[in-house]
Amino acid sequence: MKKRIFAALLCASMVTAAFTGCSGDSGGDSAKSEWAGETLSILVSSGWMDNRWDDVLESFEEEYGVTVDLQTIPADQYPDLLQSKLTTDSCADVFWIQSNPFAIESVIVNPEEYCIDFSGAEWESLIPEARLSSCKYEDKLYGLQIYNNSPDCVMVYNKSMFEEHGWEVPATYDEFKELCGEILDEGITPWYMPGADGWQHQLTFFQIGGVYEQAQPGLYEALNTNQATFAGNEQMITALEQFKEFSDLGYFGEDWIGTDSSNLINAMAEREAAMVISGSGVIKQIRDDTGSEDEFGMFLEPFVDNQTFPTNPSGPTMFGYNKSEHPDLVKEYFNFVTKTENLQSILDNSPTWTNLDILDDNLEQHWLPEEEEFMSQITDEQKATPVLQTGTKYTNDYWNQFGQDMVAYVQGTIDDPNVVLENMDKNRAEAAKTANDPNWQ
Amino acid sequence: MFSVSKTEYGIFILKESGDRMKKKKVYPWWFLIIPLVFYVCFFLLPSLLGVGFSFTDWSSRSAVDGTHFVGLQNYIEIFTSDENYAAGIGHTLMFTVISNIVKLIPALLLAVMLQEGLKGKGLYRTILYLPSILPFVIIGIIFRSIFNFDHGLLNMILEGLHLEFLQQKWLSDLNVVWKSIFSVDAWRGIGYCMTIFLAGLQTIPKSLYEAAEIDGANFWQRLRYVTLPMISGAVMINLVFGITYGLKAFDIVYVLTNGGPGHATELLTTYSFQMYSTGNYGMSTAMNAVLLFITAVIGIIIVKVMSKKEVQQ
Amino acid sequence: MKKKAVQLTKHIICIILCLIVIMPFYMVLINSFKPKAEAAKMTLALPTEWHFETYLEVIDDGNLIQGFLNSLTYAGIATIVGVLGCAMAAFVMARNRTKINSFLYYFIICGLFFPVNYVTLVRVLQTFQLANTKPGIIIAFISSMIPFCVFTIRNFISSIPVELDEAAVIDGCGPLTLFFRVIAPLMKPTLVTCFILQFMGIWSDFMTPLYLSNSSKLYPMTMAVYQFFGKNKNAWNAVFADIILTCIPVVIVYLIGQKYIVGGMTAGGVKE
Repeated sequence: MKKRIFAALLCASMVTAAFTGCSGDSGGDSAKSEWAGETLSILVSSGWMDNRWDDVLESFEEEYGVTVDLQTIPADQYPDLLQSKLTTDSCADVFWIQSNPFAIESVIVNPEEYCIDFSGAEWESLIPEARLSSCKYEDKLYGLQIYNNSPDCVMVYNKSMFEEHGWEVPATYDEFKELCGEILDEGITPWYMPGADGWQHQLTFFQIGGVYEQAQPGLYEALNTNQATFAGNEQMITALEQFKEFSDLGYFGEDWIGTDSSNLINAMAEREAAMVISGSGVIKQIRDDTGSEDEFGMFLEPFVDNQTFPTNPSGPTMFGYNKSEHPDLVKEYFNFVTKTENLQSILDNSPTWTNLDILDDNLEQHWLPEEEEFMSQITDEQKATPVLQTGTKYTNDYWNQFGQDMVAYVQGTIDDPNVVLENMDKNRAEAAKTANDPNWQ
Repeated sequence: MFSVSKTEYGIFILKESGDRMKKKKVYPWWFLIIPLVFYVCFFLLPSLLGVGFSFTDWSSRSAVDGTHFVGLQNYIEIFTSDENYAAGIGHTLMFTVISNIVKLIPALLLAVMLQEGLKGKGLYRTILYLPSILPFVIIGIIFRSIFNFDHGLLNMILEGLHLEFLQQKWLSDLNVVWKSIFSVDAWRGIGYCMTIFLAGLQTIPKSLYEAAEIDGANFWQRLRYVTLPMISGAVMINLVFGITYGLKAFDIVYVLTNGGPGHATELLTTYSFQMYSTGNYGMSTAMNAVLLFITAVIGIIIVKVMSKKEVQQ
Repeated sequence: MKKKAVQLTKHIICIILCLIVIMPFYMVLINSFKPKAEAAKMTLALPTEWHFETYLEVIDDGNLIQGFLNSLTYAGIATIVGVLGCAMAAFVMARNRTKINSFLYYFIICGLFFPVNYVTLVRVLQTFQLANTKPGIIIAFISSMIPFCVFTIRNFISSIPVELDEAAVIDGCGPLTLFFRVIAPLMKPTLVTCFILQFMGIWSDFMTPLYLSNSSKLYPMTMAVYQFFGKNKNAWNAVFADIILTCIPVVIVYLIGQKYIVGGMTAGGVKE
């Protein structure tokens, strides 16, 4: 008897389930637009839209009487899934990529076929020149990048703690090393390094691209035309050696290779760690999540005596899908989100952002005092060179392998830092070959 | 017919008896249709088409340049490349052998133990099965946290038990990392293997054990001479699944170490994944095809050998 | 006396093993009730303040009701159809050992070794007009479980005596009655085992629905967990609450199912 009831319940619930999928969405309230009742689908990697977009999407639904279907995909699946959707002609109306000046070519590959050409759209004037390079390909406008201009991936440090101990912000490697020694003597991890995340420790090497270019002007250009290599570059070797030295001295904590970032916020708030490479947004997050009352500040990563700012015009960028059923609705969506009040809503609802890098004077930014203080000290000259991974072609694709090689070098499986660099050269050559790059023929 | 199903019957199957019936009528071919059609259309066909890509230059550039037939070029590259794929193959084989040993033996013993009358065995079974329902990503998150050197649960428990000397950098020490992976894999997989063994144990008539007990057989003798021969089907299933799982293993390593520290836990599949994520799809599928070939050969051999044994009995 | 000692040892072993298994689950459970920052520490300590509302938020934000119904549809229908269909096929293959049947058997179990290729699978489904539909996803799941089920079931079917078939046929059973009224009930432990293993496999597989659908309405329950963690937003309490909610249905299925596994066929006779 029991069995029967269970079976009946199971069947009933399955039938309900099968049908609820079909009903449910009867669209918006009235026919306010020609698209009323239609669905705009958005494909995005998790973390790129967050809750900051919720209100905007809701008002878009209301204003146009459409339904927005937001498809948030696990970050590690996203690139593969996007490729598969593009190859099988079944992509969402709007899709996102992590763009940089070379990404449209290398990730989307054929923007003409896949992307709506937005050239001449009003919102083009809102995007700063540097970011536009991540949105355009062969002079056609494809992407819309709404990102922040906070200092990202710089050294964030606990200012209160530094002041209490009389520690000074270092400007050279030697000062940095001495400082970390003092911090470690206090029983505090000098630098929280989430090696287990697999993508963070590479920042120490790539974010100081400016210093490589400084030492050897024209290096980026030479790397892009196959006139120079990573291997043999003295500054790069130094950067890796210094990284290993820090690791050996325990400045990243006793087991940074096995540590991921899940406890970062707590470690910073509870003064278990003094510094971390991160964006200024982390300061806001530490305060919001833990109620910490410490002051935080930022400085430039001093490996290889670096004093350049990690300029990085890359960021999550949205594109319209050319084979969408309603390209006009997609265009309307792009126009809609670039209205001042909607940009404002995105900014105001963001857990970590303090500003938008958008040229709209009516937008009210919420810069943190720490950010303003830090940015006011940075000269234009320091900002001149973008970071290594966005300034050079094919480099970013091998981010993870490079990180693994770094760890292998630190652990002694690879004994020469130059081998790490040679591997990068090899991989880049491989990618260039696949892309039929004439400079690598 | 219900009277029939209730009658006592012996355990020996009279092979020739089946011939007396009109087999075709009793065992109609159309019973096979649905699975066969689904399997061919929606599993085999896509998979074979996928393998077909290994003979092409399919890459992220194909959207512009098109995909071309390149023959065996990808395969030649795998076997002649100076990249360290040999280590990947070695790791894959080692993982397959060890992960199966550490899962199957405990799983069998547990199954035998839980098969016999033990109060609360239902609860134990359910609990032991639980880990295999967790998605790998979650297992990764949980165990990376447990294995954390400073705050991780494991090291804290060891500290609490005053066993500090046992504390390890579980996921970053080159001498420990594989052991950690095997432990997590066993943690996740034992319940699954046990469930299959249990299904096999159900088919053993109790009378056999009673007979063995009268003959004075001890636990090990019963295991060796009654249980194991009678559950050879379940053993084979577990072996085949275990070996295919081991050779194709990816997620467990990916979520725990992603092939690291350095390249210490790189498998064939993680290399293939790297290739895929850098847009070299043709090479990636070729690598999968090599793996497929190895797996299929080993798998078919096991099935053949074990089936013969079964017939001999 | 000795027997009692043995029993006790067994219990102790079981309890220790269960503790090892349970520990991470306990960690997940207890942290799901903590505030966000506290949960990120992932300790075993009790929460300083209990936050039950996380569960409500998760159900709401993660669209869990819809996801649950989807998962139940996929796993429920696919496993029932798949296991029964495969049992019928395996039954014929095991009993009527003609050359063609044994070829088909090996042909099907070859599928155990093949990797899934989503790009081509989507293409095939598009050809059959099944892409982006629930039936399409269900069919993909059924198809991928066929090698597993056929292999498992055929290996267990030989333990059912052929005489039963004969007797049933003499009583006038057709093949369908024979299978469903005589064979299937005897196969219950095996079928239920297959059901449980496959149900769980589909329940935790979010990749297939992800690749085969282009609407979040078709997403399974397990996808929701990714709503709560990304690069900047690790709401561990929500992630953990979601894990707990996702596990519950599978636990229920296992608890119900194992009643049928246990002691289905014992003492050489047929129970019930």
